[in-house]
Amino acid sequence: MDSAKPKHNKVIDGQALFNGSVDKIDSEQTWVAEAKQGCQSAFYQLYQKHHKSIYALCWRMLADKDSAEDVCQEVFVVLWQKINNFRGESKFSTWLHSVATNVVLGHLRKHKNWLQRVFSIEEQGVSIAEPSVSLTDNTTLSLLDQHIARLPERARLVFVLFAVEGYRHEEISKMLKMAVGSSKSQYHRARLLLKESLTDVDLSSVDQEFSYE
Amino acid sequence: MSNHRQEDKWVSDKGLAEQVAKLSTEIQPERDLWPGIERAINHQEQQRSENTNSNVFVPSAWAASIALVILMSWFTFSPSIDEQGIPELVKNKQLSNPSQGALVNFMQQNFQQQKQTLLVSYGQPAMEQLPVAMQIELKKLADARSSIKTALLTDENNADLLNLLDFTQQQELKLLQELYRQYQVI
Repeated sequence: MDSAKPKHNKVIDGQALFNGSVDKIDSEQTWVAEAKQGCQSAFYQLYQKHHKSIYALCWRMLADKDSAEDVCQEVFVVLWQKINNFRGESKFSTWLHSVATNVVLGHLRKHKNWLQRVFSIEEQGVSIAEPSVSLTDNTTLSLLDQHIARLPERARLVFVLFAVEGYRHEEISKMLKMAVGSSKSQYHRARLLLKESLTDVDLSSVDQEFSYE
Repeated sequence: MSNHRQEDKWVSDKGLAEQVAKLSTEIQPERDLWPGIERAINHQEQQRSENTNSNVFVPSAWAASIALVILMSWFTFSPSIDEQGIPELVKNKQLSNPSQGALVNFMQQNFQQQKQTLLVSYGQPAMEQLPVAMQIELKKLADARSSIKTALLTDENNADLLNLLDFTQQQELKLLQELYRQYQVI
């Protein structure tokens, strides 16, 4: 996995760092302006800068590698179409993440099968029995990411949007068309399930440790 | 010993929050996604800014709404405006030029209607029961009205006379209202 954490070099010249960050913002603004004019090379620069964070969002919300890749592509196609709607009132990355969230949710709505629609299977927790991600075969992901992927869909979406993406419950309730209270309870549920599953993993590692003694 | 180790390993809220904070903001997709995006956008047109469209649309919608309201008001209330707006029309001498006689007749009819409505609302009172002085005042006003009307028939372009006619009509109506309040007899 490509570690996304920015590598912070030791800064001696603060002014140089300041100038560098300004340059980055300026260059992004330039790319956005040029992409609005239909410049694909500028759009490619925006893709290069943001595709990993958008893929992370897609992956965490969808918990499926292939779907995440497809939807990540769809996000950038939608971005190309709608980039003229970006008015610069927020950071470009913030706006892009909101576009991506909407695309992911639209994808989920489109691909929800008829059985889920009729019987609301997810709400009964059946999806827990069929995790879309194995804890052993996806070593490129962090342990927490692997456990997030095993959460029931609604709990997972709320957890990712609230805890990772930083949306408020009021915003999430609108996005997911649920009550604010439901969003909060799903978040609570997700936290409990995560703590349980992470504890189980830790305990199994402890047991393994003892078995070697 | 074992239980103690297990309690230590229980993931707390704080521990979970710390793990969330450590989550990577980026994940590298396994395959190169750009070629697919490039193919797609080669066939896709960019949308024009929704904001720009709304900037044009909103004022246009407002203008259309205002125009509609004005038109509706005009068609709905134009008869009453005509009746009440005569003095205003008369102020403009140029507007008083065409069909002066018709305008005088219209003003007179309108006044008679208003007076009749007023008297009906008072229960068709007997004018003879008014004090003589009041009856004289009313007669003077009626005579003045008649004189102005006669003068207008011979001087069609005199806007001052039209205003005076309107003034005497209004004074007569006001006097009737005042008399009703004071005497409750008519």
